[in-house]
Amino acid sequence: MRGSVNRPPTPEAEDGRQDQHLSLQEIINIKLVESGEKERLKELLRERLIECGWRDEMKELCRSFVRKKGKNNVTVEDLINVITPKGRASVPDSVKAELLQHIRSFLGSAAL
Amino acid sequence: MSLPNDKNGNMSFNSQLSAHLFSDLLDSIIVDVASECHRTARLGLDCNLEIEEEELRLSAEARARLSDPSNGGDVNGKYIVDIFGQTHPPVANDIFECMNCGQSIMAGRFAPHLEKCMGKGRKARLKARRSSRLAQNRYARGSYVSSHSQYSSTSQLSNDTSDTTGEGYSNGAYEDP
Repeated sequence: MRGSVNRPPTPEAEDGRQDQHLSLQEIINIKLVESGEKERLKELLRERLIECGWRDEMKELCRSFVRKKGKNNVTVEDLINVITPKGRASVPDSVKAELLQHIRSFLGSAAL
Repeated sequence: MSLPNDKNGNMSFNSQLSAHLFSDLLDSIIVDVASECHRTARLGLDCNLEIEEEELRLSAEARARLSDPSNGGDVNGKYIVDIFGQTHPPVANDIFECMNCGQSIMAGRFAPHLEKCMGKGRKARLKARRSSRLAQNRYARGSYVSSHSQYSSTSQLSNDTSDTTGEGYSNGAYEDP
């Protein structure tokens, strides 16, 4: 596994024992990112959501919001608030199942 | 890394974690989509937006015009106005050349002209019969005469096309620096 060039130096060994504040979740998250799996999973999810038209739905929601509010009065937060509830709810079950399966298998391999 | 031994505990922790990771991924994709739409909107790159606004405006105008009680709303003076605000004369104006007889014909009068010209009507049929009988007689006497008449008519047509291509050519030549 290649280390990042710009990574700050790891903390000294003396404080090492105290730094076990990292929760299991954070450890797994770090593993996910470092192995590149998080990026792969994100790409997979993005591709599936494009295929099923979810992305176009979200863009249409944004567009109608922009039309109502006027394009110069819109912030990114506005759009995120517009999309998030509908977006979370309208992910197809098959897509969600596929991603969860990948995640679980990663967790399984990471636990070993 | 040791996970809790209890099977049920293991499963729920795992699925909780998976669900959390999944919504992490989904949220980051939502942010991506939102920021891209924001950029598109602010930069005015989404040309559909202006088109849709224009269409909304025009449809509102048309609706207003329809509800306007003057001649049923869609007749403006002499001509009828369509949804784009264009007027069309009741008889088509464009003039072109009939490919059968070579006359200059107005588009709106083309169908009746063709009927006469190509032989649907009574008079035309008589004309056709007469001319075909003449042609048959000619053919009987000698194929030279009928083929000659065919050749002359086709050459007339090819002359026309060559004229236009000739003009086109010369135009191109002049425009060439």
